[in-house]
Amino acid sequence: MRLASSQNRRTLIVVFITLLIICEMVAYVATTPRPREQFFQLYILGANHMAADYYPNNDTNIHLGEPVTWYLGVTDNMGTVQLVSIRVKIGNQTVKPPDDTQALESPAPIVTEFMRFIQNNETWETPFVWSISDAVSSGNSTRILTLQIHNETYQIQDCSASNGHNFRLIFELWTWQADTNAFEFGWTAGGEHRVAWLQVWFNMTRSRLA
Amino acid sequence: MLNYLNESRLPPIHNKLPIIGVLAVLVILAIRPLTPATSQTVGTLQPGFGQAIVVLNGAESAGATSSEVSKLVALLNKALELNREALKLNATDEAETRAALLGQVDQILTTVENRAIELTVAASQRSYNTRVLTYLGGAIAAVLGTITYAFAVSFYQKYRIKRTFQMRVIRK
Repeated sequence: MRLASSQNRRTLIVVFITLLIICEMVAYVATTPRPREQFFQLYILGANHMAADYYPNNDTNIHLGEPVTWYLGVTDNMGTVQLVSIRVKIGNQTVKPPDDTQALESPAPIVTEFMRFIQNNETWETPFVWSISDAVSSGNSTRILTLQIHNETYQIQDCSASNGHNFRLIFELWTWQADTNAFEFGWTAGGEHRVAWLQVWFNMTRSRLA
Repeated sequence: MLNYLNESRLPPIHNKLPIIGVLAVLVILAIRPLTPATSQTVGTLQPGFGQAIVVLNGAESAGATSSEVSKLVALLNKALELNREALKLNATDEAETRAALLGQVDQILTTVENRAIELTVAASQRSYNTRVLTYLGGAIAAVLGTITYAFAVSFYQKYRIKRTFQMRVIRK
Protein backbone atom coordinates (compact mmCIF):
# COMPACT_ATOMS: atom_id res chain seq x y z
CA MET A 1 0.00 0.00 0.00
CA ARG A 2 1.43 3.29 -1.02
CA LEU A 3 0.44 6.25 1.11
CA ALA A 4 3.48 8.27 0.47
CA SER A 5 2.06 10.89 -1.78
CA SER A 6 0.57 13.92 -0.09
CA GLN A 7 -2.48 13.77 -2.34
CA ASN A 8 -3.28 10.25 -1.11
CA ARG A 9 -2.91 11.34 2.49
CA ARG A 10 -5.23 14.30 1.95
CA THR A 11 -7.79 11.98 0.36
CA LEU A 12 -7.59 9.59 3.28
CA ILE A 13 -8.04 12.44 5.77
CA VAL A 14 -11.11 13.66 3.90
CA VAL A 15 -12.53 10.10 3.80
CA PHE A 16 -11.83 9.63 7.51
CA ILE A 17 -13.49 12.93 8.48
CA THR A 18 -16.52 12.15 6.30
CA LEU A 19 -16.89 8.66 7.78
CA LEU A 20 -16.37 10.03 11.29
CA ILE A 21 -19.17 12.58 10.83
CA ILE A 22 -21.52 9.91 9.42
CA CYS A 23 -20.73 7.36 12.17
CA GLU A 24 -21.08 9.92 14.98
CA MET A 25 -24.39 11.08 13.54
CA VAL A 26 -25.60 7.47 13.60
CA ALA A 27 -24.34 7.17 17.20
CA TYR A 28 -26.20 10.36 18.15
CA VAL A 29 -29.45 9.12 16.59
CA ALA A 30 -29.04 5.74 18.29
CA THR A 31 -28.47 7.20 21.75
CA THR A 32 -30.99 10.06 21.62
CA PRO A 33 -34.59 9.08 22.41
CA ARG A 34 -37.00 10.14 19.73
CA PRO A 35 -39.83 12.49 20.70
CA ARG A 36 -43.17 10.73 20.59
CA GLU A 37 -46.77 11.62 21.10
CA GLN A 38 -47.83 11.48 24.73
CA PHE A 39 -51.36 10.40 25.53
CA PHE A 40 -53.58 8.19 27.65
CA GLN A 41 -56.26 5.78 26.54
CA LEU A 42 -59.36 5.26 28.64
CA TYR A 43 -61.85 2.56 27.81
CA ILE A 44 -64.77 0.67 29.23
CA LEU A 45 -65.84 -2.80 28.12
CA GLY A 46 -68.89 -4.90 28.77
CA ALA A 47 -69.22 -8.09 30.79
CA ASN A 48 -67.66 -10.22 28.01
CA HIS A 49 -64.63 -7.99 27.59
CA MET A 50 -66.03 -6.46 24.43
CA ALA A 51 -67.55 -3.13 23.48
CA ALA A 52 -70.97 -4.75 23.85
CA ASP A 53 -73.17 -6.38 26.49
CA TYR A 54 -72.95 -3.45 28.87
CA TYR A 55 -76.26 -4.34 30.52
CA PRO A 56 -77.61 -7.62 31.89
CA ASN A 57 -79.78 -9.25 29.20
CA ASN A 58 -79.02 -6.20 27.00
CA ASP A 59 -81.70 -4.28 28.85
CA THR A 60 -80.75 -0.72 29.76
CA ASN A 61 -83.39 -0.76 32.46
CA ILE A 62 -81.50 -1.95 35.54
CA HIS A 63 -83.19 -3.89 38.35
CA LEU A 64 -82.65 -2.94 41.96
CA GLY A 65 -79.72 -5.01 43.30
CA GLU A 66 -78.88 -6.41 39.89
CA PRO A 67 -75.08 -6.58 39.48
CA VAL A 68 -73.64 -4.99 36.35
CA THR A 69 -70.10 -5.91 35.30
CA TRP A 70 -67.88 -3.66 33.25
CA TYR A 71 -64.12 -3.45 32.73
CA LEU A 72 -62.34 -0.14 33.07
CA GLY A 73 -58.96 0.29 31.44
CA VAL A 74 -56.26 2.94 31.15
CA THR A 75 -53.15 2.79 28.96
CA ASP A 76 -50.19 5.03 29.70
CA ASN A 77 -48.39 6.31 26.60
CA MET A 78 -46.77 9.26 28.33
CA GLY A 79 -43.25 7.82 28.33
CA THR A 80 -43.00 7.77 32.14
CA VAL A 81 -44.66 6.26 35.18
CA GLN A 82 -47.91 8.07 35.93
CA LEU A 83 -50.24 8.14 38.90
CA VAL A 84 -53.77 8.11 37.55
CA SER A 85 -57.18 8.24 39.11
CA ILE A 86 -60.46 7.25 37.53
CA ARG A 87 -63.23 9.22 39.18
CA VAL A 88 -66.68 7.72 39.02
CA LYS A 89 -69.55 10.19 39.04
CA ILE A 90 -73.26 9.68 38.80
CA GLY A 91 -75.62 12.02 37.06
CA ASN A 92 -78.88 12.37 35.21
CA GLN A 93 -79.84 13.88 31.88
CA THR A 94 -79.53 17.48 33.02
CA VAL A 95 -76.11 17.34 34.66
CA LYS A 96 -73.31 18.80 32.55
CA PRO A 97 -70.78 16.34 31.12
CA PRO A 98 -67.06 17.23 31.23
CA ASP A 99 -66.06 20.04 28.88
CA ASP A 100 -63.42 18.89 26.39
CA THR A 101 -62.52 22.33 25.09
CA GLN A 102 -62.21 24.04 28.46
CA ALA A 103 -60.89 20.90 30.22
CA LEU A 104 -63.55 21.20 32.91
CA GLU A 105 -64.76 18.27 34.96
CA SER A 106 -68.40 17.36 35.27
CA PRO A 107 -70.15 18.94 38.25
CA ALA A 108 -71.84 15.59 38.98
CA PRO A 109 -71.12 14.20 42.47
CA ILE A 110 -68.18 11.82 42.87
CA VAL A 111 -69.12 8.30 43.95
CA THR A 112 -65.63 6.87 44.25
CA GLU A 113 -62.22 6.88 42.61
CA PHE A 114 -59.63 4.26 41.68
CA MET A 115 -55.97 5.22 41.86
CA ARG A 116 -53.06 3.40 40.30
CA PHE A 117 -49.45 3.86 39.29
CA ILE A 118 -49.02 2.84 35.65
CA GLN A 119 -45.80 2.30 33.75
CA ASN A 120 -45.17 3.52 30.25
CA ASN A 121 -46.91 1.31 27.66
CA GLU A 122 -48.77 -0.49 30.44
CA THR A 123 -52.50 -1.05 30.44
CA TRP A 124 -54.25 -1.22 33.77
CA GLU A 125 -57.60 -2.91 33.63
CA THR A 126 -59.92 -3.41 36.55
CA PRO A 127 -63.37 -4.97 36.79
CA PHE A 128 -66.11 -2.56 37.77
CA VAL A 129 -69.00 -4.43 39.36
CA TRP A 130 -71.81 -2.23 40.51
CA SER A 131 -75.47 -2.32 41.40
CA ILE A 132 -78.12 0.04 42.65
CA SER A 133 -78.75 -1.09 46.20
CA ASP A 134 -81.39 1.44 47.15
CA ALA A 135 -83.67 3.79 45.25
CA VAL A 136 -87.05 5.42 45.79
CA SER A 137 -89.73 6.62 43.47
CA SER A 138 -92.01 9.52 44.26
CA GLY A 139 -94.39 10.87 41.66
CA ASN A 140 -92.64 10.83 38.32
CA SER A 141 -89.18 10.97 39.80
CA THR A 142 -86.84 8.12 40.70
CA ARG A 143 -84.02 8.82 43.10
CA ILE A 144 -80.96 6.62 43.59
CA LEU A 145 -80.01 6.53 47.26
CA THR A 146 -77.13 4.06 47.42
CA LEU A 147 -74.83 2.46 44.92
CA GLN A 148 -72.81 -0.65 45.55
CA ILE A 149 -69.41 -0.93 43.89
CA HIS A 150 -67.20 -3.95 44.63
CA ASN A 151 -69.26 -4.80 47.72
CA GLU A 152 -68.86 -1.31 49.13
CA THR A 153 -71.91 0.86 49.57
CA TYR A 154 -71.81 4.52 48.61
CA GLN A 155 -74.43 7.07 49.60
CA ILE A 156 -75.60 9.13 46.64
CA GLN A 157 -76.52 12.75 47.16
CA ASP A 158 -79.18 14.31 45.06
CA CYS A 159 -79.43 12.10 42.01
CA SER A 160 -82.90 11.72 40.57
CA ALA A 161 -84.33 11.39 37.10
CA SER A 162 -87.72 11.88 35.57
CA ASN A 163 -89.48 8.50 35.34
CA GLY A 164 -86.13 6.89 36.12
CA HIS A 165 -84.84 7.49 32.62
CA ASN A 166 -81.36 8.60 31.56
CA PHE A 167 -79.19 8.14 34.58
CA ARG A 168 -75.52 7.90 33.71
CA LEU A 169 -72.21 6.94 35.21
CA ILE A 170 -69.38 9.26 34.18
CA PHE A 171 -65.75 8.12 34.31
CA GLU A 172 -63.11 10.84 34.30
CA LEU A 173 -59.37 10.32 33.97
CA TRP A 174 -57.33 12.43 36.39
CA THR A 175 -53.53 12.46 36.52
CA TRP A 176 -51.12 13.46 39.25
CA GLN A 177 -49.19 16.65 38.53
CA ALA A 178 -45.88 16.84 40.34
CA ASP A 179 -45.58 20.62 39.99
CA THR A 180 -48.90 21.34 41.70
CA ASN A 181 -48.92 18.24 43.94
CA ALA A 182 -52.50 17.58 42.98
CA PHE A 183 -54.62 15.53 40.65
CA GLU A 184 -55.62 17.34 37.49
CA PHE A 185 -58.44 16.48 35.15
CA GLY A 186 -56.77 15.18 31.99
CA TRP A 187 -53.09 15.66 31.20
CA THR A 188 -50.75 18.13 29.55
CA ALA A 189 -48.60 17.04 26.63
CA GLY A 190 -46.83 19.10 24.02
CA GLY A 191 -48.19 22.33 25.47
CA GLU A 192 -51.77 21.15 25.09
CA HIS A 193 -54.17 20.07 27.77
CA ARG A 194 -56.26 17.04 26.93
CA VAL A 195 -58.97 15.19 28.76
CA ALA A 196 -60.44 11.70 28.60
CA TRP A 197 -63.81 10.69 29.93
CA LEU A 198 -66.59 8.22 29.27
CA GLN A 199 -70.21 7.89 30.20
CA VAL A 200 -72.68 5.04 30.14
CA TRP A 201 -76.42 5.66 30.32
CA PHE A 202 -78.94 3.50 32.11
CA ASN A 203 -82.53 3.57 33.33
CA MET A 204 -84.04 2.71 36.68
CA THR A 205 -87.76 2.85 36.17
CA ARG A 206 -90.42 2.37 38.80
CA SER A 207 -91.17 -1.19 37.61
CA ARG A 208 -87.61 -2.24 38.44
CA LEU A 209 -87.67 -0.97 42.00
CA ALA A 210 -89.62 -3.90 43.36
CA MET B 1 -62.03 79.46 22.41
CA LEU B 2 -58.70 78.58 20.89
CA ASN B 3 -58.84 76.68 17.62
CA TYR B 4 -55.86 75.17 15.92
CA LEU B 5 -55.56 75.59 12.21
CA ASN B 6 -55.14 71.89 11.51
CA GLU B 7 -57.47 70.64 14.25
CA SER B 8 -59.76 68.92 11.76
CA ARG B 9 -56.83 66.85 10.52
CA LEU B 10 -55.97 65.45 13.95
CA PRO B 11 -57.10 61.84 14.42
CA PRO B 12 -60.05 61.50 16.77
CA ILE B 13 -58.32 59.61 19.58
CA HIS B 14 -61.37 59.46 21.85
CA ASN B 15 -63.25 57.41 19.22
CA LYS B 16 -60.56 54.71 19.17
CA LEU B 17 -60.33 54.19 22.91
CA PRO B 18 -63.25 51.72 23.18
CA ILE B 19 -61.88 49.72 20.24
CA ILE B 20 -58.43 49.55 21.88
CA GLY B 21 -60.08 48.47 25.13
CA VAL B 22 -62.02 45.67 23.44
CA LEU B 23 -58.90 44.53 21.59
CA ALA B 24 -56.90 44.50 24.82
CA VAL B 25 -59.54 42.33 26.51
CA LEU B 26 -59.59 39.96 23.53
CA VAL B 27 -55.79 39.70 23.55
CA ILE B 28 -55.77 38.96 27.30
CA LEU B 29 -58.46 36.29 26.85
CA ALA B 30 -56.55 34.74 23.96
CA ILE B 31 -53.25 34.69 25.85
CA ARG B 32 -54.80 33.32 29.06
CA PRO B 33 -53.90 29.63 29.19
CA LEU B 34 -56.51 26.99 29.90
CA THR B 35 -56.59 26.37 33.62
CA PRO B 36 -57.57 22.76 34.05
CA ALA B 37 -59.47 21.62 37.09
CA THR B 38 -57.22 20.47 39.90
CA SER B 39 -58.04 18.88 43.19
CA GLN B 40 -56.00 18.53 46.32
CA THR B 41 -56.02 15.05 47.73
CA VAL B 42 -54.29 15.86 50.99
CA GLY B 43 -56.95 13.97 52.93
CA THR B 44 -56.78 10.84 50.83
CA LEU B 45 -53.22 10.64 49.56
CA GLN B 46 -50.03 11.11 51.50
CA PRO B 47 -47.57 13.68 50.16
CA GLY B 48 -44.97 10.90 50.00
CA PHE B 49 -46.70 9.50 46.91
CA GLY B 50 -46.05 12.72 45.01
CA GLN B 51 -42.41 12.71 46.08
CA ALA B 52 -42.05 9.04 45.12
CA ILE B 53 -43.28 9.60 41.58
CA VAL B 54 -40.90 12.52 41.13
CA VAL B 55 -37.92 10.38 42.18
CA LEU B 56 -39.16 7.50 40.00
CA ASN B 57 -39.49 9.77 36.97
CA GLY B 58 -35.93 10.92 37.65
CA ALA B 59 -34.74 7.31 37.54
CA GLU B 60 -36.57 6.79 34.23
CA SER B 61 -35.00 9.93 32.76
CA ALA B 62 -31.60 8.64 33.85
CA GLY B 63 -32.22 5.51 31.78
CA ALA B 64 -33.69 2.94 34.17
CA THR B 65 -35.25 0.03 32.31
CA SER B 66 -38.93 -0.85 32.53
CA SER B 67 -38.16 -4.10 34.38
CA GLU B 68 -36.22 -2.18 37.02
CA VAL B 69 -38.98 0.40 37.39
CA SER B 70 -41.77 -2.21 37.46
CA LYS B 71 -40.60 -3.53 40.85
CA LEU B 72 -40.91 -0.06 42.36
CA VAL B 73 -44.26 0.53 40.67
CA ALA B 74 -45.55 -2.71 42.21
CA LEU B 75 -44.46 -1.47 45.64
CA LEU B 76 -46.17 1.87 45.08
CA ASN B 77 -49.41 0.16 44.07
CA LYS B 78 -49.20 -1.94 47.21
CA ALA B 79 -48.78 1.27 49.22
CA LEU B 80 -51.84 2.72 47.48
CA GLU B 81 -53.89 -0.33 48.49
CA LEU B 82 -52.75 -0.06 52.09
CA ASN B 83 -53.50 3.65 52.07
CA ARG B 84 -57.00 2.95 50.77
CA GLU B 85 -57.57 0.30 53.43
CA ALA B 86 -56.33 2.65 56.16
CA LEU B 87 -58.66 5.41 55.06
CA LYS B 88 -61.64 3.05 55.22
CA LEU B 89 -61.02 2.45 58.91
CA ASN B 90 -62.63 4.57 61.54
CA ALA B 91 -60.17 7.05 62.99
CA THR B 92 -61.30 6.56 66.61
CA ASP B 93 -62.26 2.89 66.94
CA GLU B 94 -59.56 1.40 64.78
CA ALA B 95 -56.89 4.00 65.30
CA GLU B 96 -54.14 1.46 66.00
CA THR B 97 -54.78 -0.57 62.86
CA ARG B 98 -55.03 2.59 60.86
CA ALA B 99 -51.77 3.94 62.25
CA ALA B 100 -50.07 0.60 61.58
CA LEU B 101 -51.25 0.59 57.96
CA LEU B 102 -50.17 4.18 57.44
CA GLY B 103 -46.82 3.29 59.00
CA GLN B 104 -46.41 0.52 56.45
CA VAL B 105 -47.28 2.97 53.69
CA ASP B 106 -44.58 5.35 54.94
CA GLN B 107 -42.08 2.50 55.11
CA ILE B 108 -42.85 1.42 51.53
CA LEU B 109 -42.58 4.98 50.28
CA THR B 110 -39.21 5.42 51.98
CA THR B 111 -37.99 2.12 50.48
CA VAL B 112 -39.17 3.17 47.02
CA GLU B 113 -37.48 6.56 47.29
CA ASN B 114 -34.19 5.03 48.43
CA ARG B 115 -34.24 2.38 45.72
CA ALA B 116 -35.20 4.93 43.09
CA ILE B 117 -32.24 7.12 44.08
CA GLU B 118 -29.90 4.11 43.84
CA LEU B 119 -31.46 3.23 40.51
CA THR B 120 -30.96 6.79 39.24
CA VAL B 121 -27.24 6.68 40.06
CA ALA B 122 -26.76 3.23 38.49
CA ALA B 123 -28.86 4.04 35.43
CA SER B 124 -27.16 7.37 34.76
CA GLN B 125 -23.72 5.71 35.01
CA ARG B 126 -24.89 2.95 32.66
CA SER B 127 -26.35 5.47 30.21
CA TYR B 128 -23.10 7.46 30.27
CA ASN B 129 -21.05 4.33 29.59
CA THR B 130 -23.37 3.29 26.77
CA ARG B 131 -23.16 6.74 25.21
CA VAL B 132 -19.37 6.89 25.43
CA LEU B 133 -19.05 3.37 23.99
CA THR B 134 -21.43 4.18 21.15
CA TYR B 135 -19.51 7.34 20.18
CA LEU B 136 -16.23 5.45 20.54
CA GLY B 137 -17.66 2.71 18.32
CA GLY B 138 -18.49 5.40 15.76
CA ALA B 139 -14.89 6.63 15.77
CA ILE B 140 -13.54 3.07 15.47
CA ALA B 141 -15.94 2.39 12.59
CA ALA B 142 -14.65 5.53 10.87
CA VAL B 143 -11.01 4.37 11.28
CA LEU B 144 -11.85 0.88 9.99
CA GLY B 145 -13.75 2.40 7.09
CA THR B 146 -10.79 4.58 6.19
CA ILE B 147 -8.37 1.61 6.31
CA THR B 148 -10.74 -0.43 4.14
CA TYR B 149 -10.95 2.46 1.71
CA ALA B 150 -7.15 2.75 1.59
CA PHE B 151 -6.75 -0.99 0.94
CA ALA B 152 -9.47 -0.93 -1.70
CA VAL B 153 -7.86 2.00 -3.49
CA SER B 154 -4.44 0.35 -3.27
CA PHE B 155 -5.73 -2.95 -4.67
CA TYR B 156 -7.58 -1.11 -7.41
CA GLN B 157 -4.43 0.77 -8.37
CA LYS B 158 -2.42 -2.48 -8.42
CA TYR B 159 -5.12 -4.11 -10.51
CA ARG B 160 -5.07 -1.25 -12.99
CA ILE B 161 -1.25 -1.41 -13.24
CA LYS B 162 -1.38 -5.17 -13.72
CA ARG B 163 -4.00 -4.81 -16.42
CA THR B 164 -1.94 -2.11 -18.09
CA PHE B 165 1.12 -4.37 -18.26
CA GLN B 166 -1.00 -7.25 -19.53
CA MET B 167 -2.20 -5.21 -22.47
CA ARG B 168 -1.24 -6.48 -25.87
CA VAL B 169 -0.73 -4.41 -28.94
CA ILE B 170 -2.61 -5.90 -31.85
CA ARG B 171 -1.96 -4.72 -35.29
CA LYS B 172 -5.09 -3.90 -37.25
